[in-house]
Formats: sequence, structure tokens, C-alpha cells
Amino acid sequence: MPDALSVSGLVVPGRGGRTILSVDSLTLPKGRSLGVRGPSGAGKSTLLYALAGLIEEAAGHVTWEGVDLSAMSPDRRGAFRAERMGLIFQDFLLFEELSGIDNAALPALFAPRAARGRIAARAAGLLDRLGLAEPERGVDSYSGGERQRVGVARALANDAGIVLADEPTASLHRGAADALIEDLTAMASDEGKTLVAVSHDPALLDRMDRVITIADGRITDEVGP
Amino acid sequence: MTALWDSLSVPVQDALWLAMLLVPALAVGGLVLRGLRPWPLVRAMLWRFRGPNLLFLVLIAVAVGLGIGLLAQERGLRAGTAAAADKFDMIVAAPGSEMTMLLAAVYLQPSDVGLLSGDVFAGIAGHPNVAMAAPLAFGDSYKGAPVVGTIADFVRHLGDDRIEGRMFETSTEAVAGAFAPVALGEVFEPAHGVGDVAQDDDNRHAHAGAGFHVVGRMAPTGTPWDRALIVPIEAVWEVHGLANGHAPAPADAADPLGPPFDAAYFPGTPAIVIRSDALWANYALRSTFTREAETMAFFPGAVLAQLYRVMGDVRQAMSVMALVSQVLVAASVLVGLLILIRLFRRQLALLRALGAPARFVFAVVWSYAASLLAAGAVLGLGVGWLAAAVLSRVLSARTDILIAASLGWPELHFVAGFLSVATVLALLPGVAVRRMKIVDALRG
Repeated sequence: MPDALSVSGLVVPGRGGRTILSVDSLTLPKGRSLGVRGPSGAGKSTLLYALAGLIEEAAGHVTWEGVDLSAMSPDRRGAFRAERMGLIFQDFLLFEELSGIDNAALPALFAPRAARGRIAARAAGLLDRLGLAEPERGVDSYSGGERQRVGVARALANDAGIVLADEPTASLHRGAADALIEDLTAMASDEGKTLVAVSHDPALLDRMDRVITIADGRITDEVGP
Repeated sequence: MTALWDSLSVPVQDALWLAMLLVPALAVGGLVLRGLRPWPLVRAMLWRFRGPNLLFLVLIAVAVGLGIGLLAQERGLRAGTAAAADKFDMIVAAPGSEMTMLLAAVYLQPSDVGLLSGDVFAGIAGHPNVAMAAPLAFGDSYKGAPVVGTIADFVRHLGDDRIEGRMFETSTEAVAGAFAPVALGEVFEPAHGVGDVAQDDDNRHAHAGAGFHVVGRMAPTGTPWDRALIVPIEAVWEVHGLANGHAPAPADAADPLGPPFDAAYFPGTPAIVIRSDALWANYALRSTFTREAETMAFFPGAVLAQLYRVMGDVRQAMSVMALVSQVLVAASVLVGLLILIRLFRRQLALLRALGAPARFVFAVVWSYAASLLAAGAVLGLGVGWLAAAVLSRVLSARTDILIAASLGWPELHFVAGFLSVATVLALLPGVAVRRMKIVDALRG
């Protein structure tokens, strides 16, 4: 199976000449999942943001499905994310003033005109599949589990092949976290998504094909194929 | 080009000015929003910060409203004072200040001025190009309303012959202005003097026994004469113990009233209002009746025009000051918006993380700021209209001059100019957001 992700010589500098993250090499086949664990402040989220092409100062190469993000302008990296990536955040990052469906269909607002309808329809379908009862309701009235389901639907609304999740279960109680893990991994598996999830949650990490451990900005351990 | 512009009608020129003033706003809006639809997120921002947004809206609306309200008021005041002087084609008085005489004769503001003699009046009234020469006599009052002596023809001229009841026919009858503090049929005794002077015991009873029966009421004229009590000029002279302008009549004859007056029995008048049927004759009459050390003739309209020239400079200064104050308010609001936008930066960073073009996020922020500024400006039109209406009522009540201030093209131009400046200023928060580091903002 070809690699969906290929990282080489990735370095994220910090203040005062410090190196926050240094990854010599990392690969992940298409359709597989990668868990990233490690202590707080180790550089897990920084790795995720670097993989998403969000860190301007990052050096080295991050290549997704044959496209080297490092060689692209910020705007083109943005366009790549809009089309081929979905992001999930620990604290959901929803627009509290909008409904569940409007939040899930957020990528439609800035997508090309031809794709807007498709994204909105898929967002509605995903919310339905995720069991969100009242998607027209404002998200400010949702439980944590419901909010994260909206976050997952938003990440998958553009039908991207790559899903990056930053501590997706950290703000949920156990029951909601387990349900989300089930939904997320099942959907990623069913639709052949390449999933990278940063987490402290063993239940989530256990469902990943491969798990790496990061400490002091470096990969120190790797479990799985 | 100038010739083409000059050939256009004034409304068309005003409309074109409005369009030109809106061009920057429309151009900026068009460029920023082209192909984008940020409105759901703009609504979200407006709702999230609804309290501060409402405050900003009110601040802008009040700043814009007061600015345009004052400008409309100044124009209304100008129109009102001009309309009040409309019936006073020309005034002849003893040499002195034209402005003082204008205030006394047209706006009934008391002042000490010299008197014109019977010979002078006869010369003016007998001039072939003078259709009406109305002597005026001031100095008494009743319940704060001035009592003015003149002739019946002038009352008809002033009120366009619209009188409820009838014109005075004897020297004990009066016609009330539309808003004078007397009822039709009431009898009043004037006090000597006006204002505080008339409140002295001596002055209050100086004309005891000289009662006037109100037999008519003029329709509103929109001038201070609406509060006046108008009596035959003969009566004013008589209550002051002077001759009444006519040679003594036989005992069985009715008292003569109105012109012609007998120069030998003419006690004097501070002002004569002249009307000529021939417009061309007015300038010749002014020249004829302006005699060194004896009389001065002037057109009230010309004196007002001089005053308006001075006020024109004031208006320009007011316009600039109003615009500057509004831009300062808008700038303050923008600083406030920058602070609010910082509270929203995680959501804006989220958009960038999800792949929204920088231009889209810029459009969200610009639309949010521009919406508030534009809504404030439009609301300011309403506030301005209200401010102008309230100020008009207050000024009309205080001056007895009908001031009808309404919003017109100048105010629309003003708001359009403000909108354009504001939409350009609204680019600044967007620029600030563009410089934001996505990851830093996402981490809060």
C-alpha cells in the first residue's frame, strides 16, 4: 500500500534557538491510523499542526499523498487542507452561535461554489449517522459528546482522505469518549481515511494501527506495523 | 465637462454626488466580498458580542445623528429666518444698524432706535412706486407678547388676508397673532415696555384704561409676529399721550384710522415697511430713501444674506468638525472591535486551519466591522432626523420663527462620506487578523 504520509527532516524551531520538534522520518500508509502519545508539552500537538502545514517556521518535508506541503505557499496549503484534510480539536472549537448543521457544514462556506451543496449534504448525512438528534438546534445547548460529534462531522464533511485529531476525547466523559472512538474509527475505516490522532486516551490509542510516543520533541517509541 | 455638469438639474447633481461619495464604500465592499459569503459567521460575531455591538451601534448613530441633525438645523434656521423676512420687502429707518432694525421690525426684538418724522413718512408713502408704506410702533407688551402698532393693510399683507374674525376698525380694537396669549373677544390692557421692564408696577399699569378688544386672529405666518398683538398705530401713539397722526376730527365724526397721515400730527415711527409692486423699482427706492443723516433703506433679504455668508463659514467649520468627531468615534469603535476580534481569534484561526482562504477570514472581519459602522450610520440618519425635529421645536418655541429642519441631500452626502471613510477604516481589523499566527491563536 502506498504511503499517505511521508515526513523527513521535520524540525520546528522554538524561541531562543530551541528545537520544539524534530522528526527524522515518519511514514503512514494510506487508509491506516496513527496514534501519537506522550507527556504534556512533549510536542504531540506541534507534530499534528506541522503535519497539517500550519507551522510556517517548520523546516523539512511533510508529504501527503505525494504532495509536499513544505514547498507550498500558505494559501495553497490552506486550499490543500480544505480539500483533502479534516481537523478535529480537543475543545471542539465550534461557533456557539450557529446550529449543529451549520457548524458541521462550515467548510461549505469557503469551498468552491460547485462543492458547497455536496459538503452541506454530506455534513447532514454524517450528523444523522452519528446520531445527532436535533442538528438544527444551537450548539450552545449540546452536551460535550454531541459537540464533538459535530466536530467529527465537520472534519469529514469535505470527504477528505486525511483526518487529523488533536485529543478528540479529552473533553468528554468516558461514555461519550467511547462512543466517539467507536464512531470515528469506524467511519475512518469504512471510508478508507488516513487518521492521525494525538491522545492520552488508551482506549483511542488501542484502536490505532500504529502508535508512536513523543518525548522532548522526538519520537522515542513506536508500536505497530 | 464643467458645462455638462452645470447643465444638469440640482437633484441630478445631488444624486450623482451621493453616488460618487458611495463609490469608495461600494468598491471596497465589492473587492472584499467578491465571490464570498461570510454572512453566517458575521451574524455569529454580531450575536456573540451583542452587548458591546449595541453600544458601538448607539455611539456611531448618536455621533452621526448629532452631526447631521445640527447641519439640518442650521439649514432649517436659515430657511426659517429667511421665510420670516419674506413679507418685509424693504425697511426704511433712521440711520444706524441695519441688523438692529431688522431684528426689531422683522423679529420683534426690542431696541432703542431713532424715529422718522411725519414729513419723511409722507415723502415715502407718497412716492409713485410705493404700493404700501406701513409705519411700525413697538414698545408695549401683554403677557410677554409684543404689542405692535401698524396699519390694516400691512396686517393683511403679512397674513395673506387670512384672518379669523375681522380686521381692527377702531383704535380700541386689536388683531392677535396666531399664537398670541389672548382669545378672540378678549379685552387686554398692554403694559409699557417689554420683558422684565414690563413687569414693574409702574409700567404694568402705565396704560390702565386703554383696553383693546381682540376682534380678529391671523393665520400662522411662521414669524415672531404670530405671538404679537397688533393694534392700529394711532392707538399706540394715543396711549403714550401723543398725537394720533391725524388732524383733530369734528366731534361727531368717526376717528380716522390708517393712511393718509397728517405730517403735522405724526409723532414718529422707528421703521416703515415698504412694498413696491414693481420689482425693478426696489433698487431705485432704496437709493432714493437712503439719505445721509436722515434715513436708511435696506432689503432684509440682503442683510440676511450677509449674515448667512458668515454662517456659511460656520457651517463649513461645523461640517468638518462633525465629520472629524464621527471619524474619531468610528476609530474608537474600531479599536473596540479589534479587542473583540481578539476574543474571536480562535474561531478565526479555526477557519484558517480548516483551509479557509485568508481572504475569506479577512472578509468575515471586514464585514463584521463594516456592518456595525454602516448600521450605525443608517441609524444615525434616524437619530439625526429626530434631533433636527426636537431642535426645531425648541428653537421655534424660543424664537417664534417657524423652523422646519428636515434631512436633505447634504445630510445624505455627509452619511455617504462617513460610510466610505468607515468602510476603508474597517479594513484595519482585517489586516490585523491577517498577521495572526494560526497555531498561536488555536492554542488560545
